[in-house]
Amino acid sequence: MTEPFLSIRKLRKAFGAFVAVHDVTLEIPKGEFLTFLGPSGSGKSTTLYAIAGFQDPTSGDVRLQGKSLLAVPSHKRNIGMVFQRYTLFPHLSVAENVAFPLRVRRRPDAEVKRKVADMLSLVRLESFAERLPGALSGGQQQRVALARALAYDPPILLMDEPLSALDKKLREEIQAEIRRIHRETGVTILYVTHDQEEALHLSDRIALFRDGRIEQIGTGEDLYLRPATDFVAGFIGNSNFLAAEHLETVGGAATIRLADGSVLSGINANGSFGSGQKARLMIRPEAFRLERGPRSAELAVEIVDVAFYGERRRIVARTAAGQEIDIRPTSSAMASHDATASRRQVFFDPAAAFLFPA
Amino acid sequence: MSVEIEQSIARMRLPTGLAGLLPALTLIGLFFVVPVLALLLRSVTDPAPGLQNYAALLGDGTYARVFFNTFLVAFVVTVVTVLVAFPVAWMLAIMPPALASLLFGIIILSMWTNLLTRTYAWMVLLQRTGVINRALMAIGITDQPLPLINNLTGVTIGMVYIMLPFMILPLVGTLRAIDPMTLRAAALCGASPLAAFRRILLPLSLPSIAAGGLMVFVMSLGYFVTPALLGGTSNMMLAEMIAQMIQSLLNWGLGSAAAFILLVVTMALYALQLRLVGSKRPAGGA
Repeated sequence: MTEPFLSIRKLRKAFGAFVAVHDVTLEIPKGEFLTFLGPSGSGKSTTLYAIAGFQDPTSGDVRLQGKSLLAVPSHKRNIGMVFQRYTLFPHLSVAENVAFPLRVRRRPDAEVKRKVADMLSLVRLESFAERLPGALSGGQQQRVALARALAYDPPILLMDEPLSALDKKLREEIQAEIRRIHRETGVTILYVTHDQEEALHLSDRIALFRDGRIEQIGTGEDLYLRPATDFVAGFIGNSNFLAAEHLETVGGAATIRLADGSVLSGINANGSFGSGQKARLMIRPEAFRLERGPRSAELAVEIVDVAFYGERRRIVARTAAGQEIDIRPTSSAMASHDATASRRQVFFDPAAAFLFPA
Repeated sequence: MSVEIEQSIARMRLPTGLAGLLPALTLIGLFFVVPVLALLLRSVTDPAPGLQNYAALLGDGTYARVFFNTFLVAFVVTVVTVLVAFPVAWMLAIMPPALASLLFGIIILSMWTNLLTRTYAWMVLLQRTGVINRALMAIGITDQPLPLINNLTGVTIGMVYIMLPFMILPLVGTLRAIDPMTLRAAALCGASPLAAFRRILLPLSLPSIAAGGLMVFVMSLGYFVTPALLGGTSNMMLAEMIAQMIQSLLNWGLGSAAAFILLVVTMALYALQLRLVGSKRPAGGA
C-alpha cells in the first residue's frame, strides 16, 4: 500500500492534565484543500502547529511523503505558512519579504528576482514591490504573506485563520484569491478557521474538530447534508432541533412522536435508538416548504415574525409545544402565500431531517 | 456635532510662536546655555585671552593619551554592554511577565543603590585576595590571582555593570514590540535561529541598540567615580584629568577647555547617530 502524501497518525498533545488533541488520525492526498474547522480550543490550531513544528506532540506522528517530520526542526521542514496576525518583516520591502525564504536558501540572485516577480504577480501586488509592509492594508499584507509562503514552492501550505483580522468584504475577496491560487499552483493546503462559511467556500474537505477530536471529516456537502452528529449539524449551517420521542426504526427510517403529539415517519436515524428513547429532530431552515409535497411530513406552527432577507424570507414560528423554529423559504415561494395567516401547517421532506440522540 | 468637536479641538490647540515657548526657553537658557557659554568663555580667557588652553591640550602627548584612553574605555564599555545586555533583554522580553517584573525590579534596584557603594563592592570582589580571584584559584582555573583591578579590565567590569540598565531598558521595549510570530514565520521560511537573529531580530533592534549604545558611550566618556576607583594610574580618563586640573592644579582654563572638547565630541557623535538611525526609521511603521 502506498503511503499518503501527508499523514497524521494518532497525534496527541497534552498540556499537563489538559489534552488539546486526542489521537487525531488524518490522511491528506496531494493537492487537497483541507480545512480544520471548529470552535476555539477544539485542537485545530494545535494540530496545525504540530505540523509546522512549533509544538512537539506528546505522541503520534506526522509524515510527509513517507518521512516523519517530528525530528525535523521548523526551518528545515520546507513548509509554507500564513499566520493569523500580520507577520511580515517590518524592516524589509514587500519584494524583500517575498525574497526572504529564497535568500536564506542562498538561491542565485537572478532566480530570486524572477521568483519574486512571479509571486507578486500571483497575488497581484506587482506595483507594491518597493513598499514597506507598514504602508499596506491588512488584506495586502496577508497577500504578501501568501506570496512569501509560496515563494519556495513548499509541498504544503498551512494557513492559520489568515482572514480573521480582515473585514467581511475583504475576507470574501481574499477567499476568492486563495481559491484561484490553490487552483493555479496545485499546492496542498491545510487551512484553520472557526468560520463555517469560509470552510464551505474554500475546502475540498472539512475536518470538524471538537474537544481535540475530529467529529466528522468529509466534503462540505457531506457535513451539511449528512451530519454525523448533532454537533456537526449545529455547527455547520443553521439548524432547528425539536424534542422528540423515538418509536421505531425500520431500515434506517425512524418513526417519532413530537412533543405536540404528532407522529412523523421516514426520518433519517443517526445511530440506533430504543423504543421510547428521547431524541432530537434536526431540520434545516431551508428544508421547510409552505406547500405539501409528494413526501411531506407536516408540522403545525404559529407564525411569530416574517422578515425579508433578499433571496429568502426568514420566518420565526412557534410549534404547538412552544418551541421557536427558524424557517427560510425563498422569497418568491412566500409571496404567493398569505403572510398574515398566523396559524398554518409547514412541510418538510422527512429524508432531509435527521434524528440524533438527545 | 462634528463642528462642535472641531471647535473644542481648536480651543485645545497649544499656544504657538515665541511667546508660548518663553518659559521653556528661559529655563533651558538659564540652566543649560549660560553655563556652557561660561565654560567656553573661561576656556579662552583663563589665565589669558587666546586659544593656548586648546593648543596645550591637543598638542601635548600626555593629554592625547588621556583622550585616547577615554575613548578606548568608552568604546570597550559600550561594546561589552551591548553584548551582555542583548541576551538579558531578550530573556526579559520573552519570559512570563510576572518573572520579568521581578527581574526588572532587581535591575532597577541596582540603579537606585548608591554608585559609590556599588563601586566599592566591585573593589572588594575584584582585588587580588577578593572573592573572584579566590574562587578562580579554588576551582583551579588559575594558580595566581588575576590582575582584575587598577587596570582597563577593572574599569570595564565596573562600568559595564553600571551601564547595563541603560542598555537593557530600551532594548526590552524594542524586543517586546517584535511579534514572536514574526520569528516563527522566519523559521518556517527556512531561516535557522542564527539567520533569523541576523536578518530579522538584529536589524529590528538596531535603532534601539544604536540609541542605547550612544547613551552608554556618552555617559562613559564623562565617567569619574568608577575609573577613579577601579582604574590604574596609567589609564586615566578625561573626567579624572579635569578633576585634577581644577582641584589640584586650580587650572580652570585648561579644565574648561577639556570639558568643552568633550562636549563638542559628544554632540558630534549625537549628530552622527541622528543621521545614521534617525533617517532610516521605516515610514508608517509601527
